[in-house]
This record gives sequence, structure tokens and C-alpha cells, in this order.
Amino acid sequence: MIKLESIHIEEVRGIRKLDLDFGKKTLAIHGPNGSGKSGIIDAIEFGLTGQMGRLMGRGTKGLSVALHGPHVDKVKFPDAAFVELKVFLTDLNKSATITRMVSSPKKYKVNPDDPDIRAALDEVGEHPEITLSRREILRFILVEPAKRSDEIQALLKLERIGETRRVLQAAENQLIRQHNVAANQVKSARSALQLHLQIPAVKTDAILEVANKQRKILGLTLITDFVKDTNLAEGLSAGAGSTEFNKESGLRDVKALSEAINIAASLGKTHVDAILQDLARLENEPELLGAFRQRSFIEQGLSFVEKAECPLCDAPWPDVEHLRTHIKAKLAKSEQAKQIQDALLKNGALLAGKLVQFSALIQPVAKLAETVGEKELSGTLTTWKGALDLLNIDLGNAEKVRKLKSRLRDGWLQVPDTVAASVTALDEKIKAGPDQTATLAAQTFLTTAQLRLGDFQKALRHNDTVAKGKATARAAHAIYVAVLEEELNALYDVVQKDFSTFYRELNGSDESGFTAKLTPSAASVTLDVNFYDRGLFPPAAYHSEGHQDGMGVCLYLALMRRLFDKRFTLSLLDDVVMSVDTGHRYEFCKLLKSEFADTQFIVTTHDRMWAEQMKSAGLVTGKTSVIFFSWTIDTGPLVQSNDGIWKDIDAALAKGNVDSAAAALRRHLEFVMRVLADQLGARPQFRSDGSYELDDMLSSVLKRMKALWGDAAKSAESWGKTEAQKIANEKKQFLSTCDAAMRAEQWAVNKALHYNAWADFGKNDFVPVVAAFKELLECFRCPICDSWLSVLPKQSPKMLLCTCSDISFNLIAKPKD
Amino acid sequence: MTTLYQKIGEEFLTRLAQSKEIEPKKVERLRVLITSGKKLKVQELVTAFTGGDENEVK
Repeated sequence: MIKLESIHIEEVRGIRKLDLDFGKKTLAIHGPNGSGKSGIIDAIEFGLTGQMGRLMGRGTKGLSVALHGPHVDKVKFPDAAFVELKVFLTDLNKSATITRMVSSPKKYKVNPDDPDIRAALDEVGEHPEITLSRREILRFILVEPAKRSDEIQALLKLERIGETRRVLQAAENQLIRQHNVAANQVKSARSALQLHLQIPAVKTDAILEVANKQRKILGLTLITDFVKDTNLAEGLSAGAGSTEFNKESGLRDVKALSEAINIAASLGKTHVDAILQDLARLENEPELLGAFRQRSFIEQGLSFVEKAECPLCDAPWPDVEHLRTHIKAKLAKSEQAKQIQDALLKNGALLAGKLVQFSALIQPVAKLAETVGEKELSGTLTTWKGALDLLNIDLGNAEKVRKLKSRLRDGWLQVPDTVAASVTALDEKIKAGPDQTATLAAQTFLTTAQLRLGDFQKALRHNDTVAKGKATARAAHAIYVAVLEEELNALYDVVQKDFSTFYRELNGSDESGFTAKLTPSAASVTLDVNFYDRGLFPPAAYHSEGHQDGMGVCLYLALMRRLFDKRFTLSLLDDVVMSVDTGHRYEFCKLLKSEFADTQFIVTTHDRMWAEQMKSAGLVTGKTSVIFFSWTIDTGPLVQSNDGIWKDIDAALAKGNVDSAAAALRRHLEFVMRVLADQLGARPQFRSDGSYELDDMLSSVLKRMKALWGDAAKSAESWGKTEAQKIANEKKQFLSTCDAAMRAEQWAVNKALHYNAWADFGKNDFVPVVAAFKELLECFRCPICDSWLSVLPKQSPKMLLCTCSDISFNLIAKPKD
Repeated sequence: MTTLYQKIGEEFLTRLAQSKEIEPKKVERLRVLITSGKKLKVQELVTAFTGGDENEVK
């Protein structure tokens, strides 16, 4: 996917101005705590993704790239903070330079600005997971299974898969609810048909028998076969019976409604009581009520999240995952509220079923009332029916059910006061009316029968459609879940296999039989690891912190391999193995080299030994190691030059790059003089900010070294060590002759670096400067072990020596008798 | 690069097509929704699941 060639950083985090060469190779950055190592990781991550992981996540509330990305002295000038990265895009086999300003982190300039390069960089920008810090590795190991699942899902970008699964589930749930409603409508329509036909069950022969009895009265052809389009009123002249009603049937409808009204108070009492009980609990527990009220809002909010902005207030978030995680955490907190919500919806649905059947009795009577001139009653019934239809909708929404408390307590059907008496009056009025002629009775019977048969058939068809839809939704959801689980199981199988392999490679000496088990379930991933063949346990049960660190890195590497496969070409490991002991770190280097030969790692560590091990294991070379020996707020990281500094300077001069040769020489001198000032106990003029100039350091180190060689010569003389006395005097003499020349040449270095004198300096002017400093520095180091000389003890030196003791001079003269 | 989401989506549609429980017309509607790249919506799925018949759910 991508490899790094070089970086130029200005005013980002703790860095003022810094250039690093990666050369597409693994690079180690070593330095003490607070020396600016992580600032490099921040800058690389920012250059590639526009994000800085350290300013995001838990414990970073109030932090942002815009406010805290620039150097602290440039907060008001964010335009001064930028990163320029030269990268190599492995898929395209092309190099490009990205420049990204902290003031506009989402935008970047690229050169060359080709569409394929932009597409590749945009893809990289979507993978901030290339950075792994110590803070992050434990999230894979020391977290509860549900949280681990979230972390792994976020890393593998499984969010969209989970979203699809949720939408399929929601569609199935909606069709289940629709099917319940449709089934109730079938029941109502069937009851109305049966009531009219007076048949015990809706069977075609029973329907035809009843209908044909009436048709015979009217002299109509009898219907022998009941087919899909059978019309029970076929043959009636248009309009016959349509403006009248069937007296007997009407009376039955009125009676049915009247009876239903009489028992309305107790209809669905069990479900009503259950709902009221849950509502009382919500009222008594304000926190639960708060969670409940937020729940549906948050659930809806989650579905609206499509970009890194709050869907309610438009507040910006670092990224969309960040926002989703925040909302999900809120949802998880309201589990009890969810149980109440589910119970309210369940009882609401059962109540809705009874409501549909009840309200189905109202419509025929409303029509009847209108037919006989009882318009007021008809209007009351129609309005009531409309209100009950709305109630039916409300019963499908938990938050609306909560607001129905008083209605449910005081008679949820809200039977209008006058209705019972009016229906009784209607009954009496119809009874008191003249009996219908046999012909009219038969006509109205058939038209009503056909009407109700049509309603029944329509309800059946609708029910069938919804039932099929529900079955399809159920099957689709089940298939998706099955495919998802198979793929995830396969993924976890590969990941756990790689994880175990990597961990064994890391800890082969003491855990050669290590195995791990990742067990995914609907919403969690459990990780168990083998502990010395005693069984599988959670990682934190018996393994040391160092081993857990190792597990975190191994799991991360296994997941990254699964995620990117051969395109896992870059990873930023920020101090991730600090707790792994030295033996295991060497194995870790070998693991990175053998398993991830094509991956460029940028590894930071504050442990000098670990930095040395990376070199001795061949993971990096002297040239691909950078040491930050100190940091100040004014200078940023102070970089130690690598061992190949003189070759680099010669190479720069060979190309005529005097400016870069001078910069490299100055950085090297700054580093060496700091080391020597410390090791030899030189006393440059004190500066409270620790920002010593090269001039101060060089003068004081030269003075100190001359004094030490002088002490060594005197001591040797006093002890009668002639050869040592001679060497010490020669060294002192050489330094004295150097001193004057150094001042002139140091001026040259300063001028080349700090003044606009580039035109005055040619290659030939600078070559002698380099040679003089190289010769001078050799006076301060051992030719055998290459270490810089030091004194012991520092406060009142008694010995001048190197690490291997090939150079060892006594500084204390023999006491006089 | 085929993402896990795409891989699961393709396998899901293949199995839907093989299922005797689901009408081909509905599978095609789902295919359009799943491969559109847009965020799935519940109501679109409900319509797709029920829309294979003449009567729409209202």
C-alpha cells in the first residue's frame, strides 16, 4: 500500500523543524522519555491520515488536532505547523509528496497530483490503525469480551457489516409486527363475515349454502363452485340492496358492538396491568426513566450517524467511528431500560391485537346508524374508530406507550359516554322498524355478504403478502447471520492461528506450546490463552504484564495481516514493547524480520538496550537508527547523528550540497559536545532553559579536555609512568593547536548554517572544515571501542577512560611524602 | 481490494439466490440495494421483502 521515503516536519507537537530519511526501510527512534519520539509518530500519522491517535479516544476529551497539533508556541499560528511526507505507493510503483497543514487536516496537497495517487492516498487515510501505541495494544487484551469485539470490529472495519445485520433484523421485526396486525385484521374480517352469515367456520360450502338460500328467494342462479372471483351477489341488479341494510344482520352487528362495549373496561386487563406496572417502575426510578427516554432517541441517533458530526447539533467529532462508539456506549448503559422497552412493546402489541378486533365491530354499526338516520351516532362512532386507529399506532412505540399511562389506567378504549345508550336506542329503533320483505332481506343479505367476503379475502391476501415478506426477511436475516458468522469464524480462526504462531515465535523459549482461542458470539469476542498446558485462561489471569504486552502486539499483527495481507507495508509501533524482557525483544525483532519482511516499521523506544538489539538483530542498521538525546521546548528533539555521519557529509559534498553537509556536521557536533560535556564534566555557561549553543559547548569541552590531559600528564609524571605522561602531553598539545583553528572553522560552520552565505561556500571551502572537526573529535574517543571518553567520578574525577578501558589514565598525582 | 463487507455481501446474495424460500425477483431487489454502496434503510428492505407479490404493504 505505502512506504515512507522521508519526512519534513515543522512546528508539529514537540517538533520545531526536523528532517528524517526512511528510505522505505524500517527505522528505529530511540530517546529518553519526553525527547520527542512520539511526536514523530504523530507527524507521520497526521501526514498520512490527518489524524493524531494520541489526541483521540478515552481520556482525550477537549483535545484536538487543530488546537493541540501545532507546537505549543505556534498554537495561534497553526498555518506554521505542517508535515511533508515523501511516500512510495507500492500498488502504483510511484513516489509522491504529501503536504498537510495542521490548520486544515482533512485537506492535503500532493505532488504529482494524479487521480490514481490521490485515490491510493485516500485509501491510506482511512487506515489510522497502521499506528499502534502502548496505550492501544492493551485494548485488545485487557478488556471485557464485548469491548474487545468492538475494538476488533473497528480495526477490521466491520461496522458496516454490523449495520447491515441490524437493518435486516429491524426489517424482520417490522414485518413481524405488520404480520401481527394483518393476522388480527383477518380475524376481524372473518368474525364480521361469520357474524353476518351465521356460520361456525368460514368454509366455501357453508358460504355457498347460506348465499344460495337467499339467491333462491330472489330467483337467481345458484352458485355451484366457489372460485377466487366468486361474487355472492352476482345477478342482482345494480344498486339493489346497496342502500338498505339487512335487518337481521344489522341487529347482530349492533348486538355484537353492544356486548363488546359492556366488557370494554376489562378488555386486555392483563396486558394493561403489566404496562402500568412497568410505567410505575420507570416513575419510581428517575435514572431508569432517563435511560429509557434517551434510549429510543439514541437508537435513532445512531441510525442517523453517517459522518463525523453529531446528527442533532452538528458538533464535529474526530471521526465517524469515534461518534458511533460514544453513542453505543450510551446505549449499553441502558440495558435495564431496554428490558422495560421490550416488555412495553410486547404488551402493547397484544393490546393492539385486541383493539383491532374491537374496532372492527364499530364500522358496520356506524354505517347502519347512518342508513337509519342516526347521523350523530354514526359520527360519534366514526370519530371513535379513528381515535382507536391512532391508538393502535401508538401501541407500537414504547415512548408513546409511556405517555398513555392515564388512558390505560382510566379506560384505554375511551368509550364515548353516550355510545352505550345510543347503540341500545339504535337496536330498539331497528327492531321497531317494519320487517323487510323477503326480497329486500335477501338482497341486503347478499350485498352485505359479498362486501364482507371481499374484506375477508383482501385481508387474507394482505396477510399472505406480509407473511411471505416476513418469511423472506427471516430467511434473509438468518442467511446473512450464517454467512457473517462463517466468515468471522474463518477470520478469527486465521487470526488466532497467526496470533498463536507469532506469540510462540516471541516466547518460544518458555511457551513453545502456546495456543490461543478467540470465541466470537453475537456481540463479543472472548480471548483465552493457554498457560503452560494447564488450560485456557483470560490473558490477565496468569501471564505477566510483559507477556500481555507481547500478546497485544501479536494480536495486532495477526489482525493487520488479515486486514491487509500483502499490502501491510507500513506500521508505526510507538513504544509498544516496553514491558517485554530483553530476551523476548530479540525474538520480536526476528519475528518482524521473518514474518513481515515487506513491512516497513517505524519503531520508537525509550530503552537504549532495545534500540541496540534492533541493530544487532538486523532489524535496523546504524543508518536507519535515530537517537534523540534530549529535547527542549525551543529546539524540539536533539538528534544524534548516526555512525555513518562522515560518509553522509562526504556524499553531500560530492554532490555540491554544502548546506546539507554543514547542517549534518553541526547536528553531529551538537550531539557529541553535549555527550562530552556530560561525560567529562565540562562547565559551559549555565543556561536555565538548557539551550546551549554549539559555541559554548565546544569551548568548554576543549578547555575541560585540555585540563584533564594536563592532570593526566602530571599524575603520570608523579607515578613515574613516562609513556603515559608522553601521550597525555601530546594530546594536550594537539588540542591547543586545534583551538585557534577551530574558532575560525567553527565560524565557517555557523556561517554556512545561519547566514545567507551559501554563495560564498564552495565544496573546496568546506572540505577542510570537515576534516579538521573529524580529526578533533577523534581526540575524544577510543579507537578500539569507539566510545566517547569520560571521567569517574564526575564530581571529583580520579580516572579518564573509555568503555573498553584501552584508554585509562589516572588523574590523581602521587601524594608527596 | 475486496473488503470483508463486500465478501459477505456477495456470499449472502449467492445463498439467497440458491434458497427455495425466496423468490428470484426479491433476490434481485436485494442485490440492487446491497451493491448500491448506499446505507441500507429498513423501509427499503421491507418493500423488497414484500414487493415480489402484486399487493404492496401499506
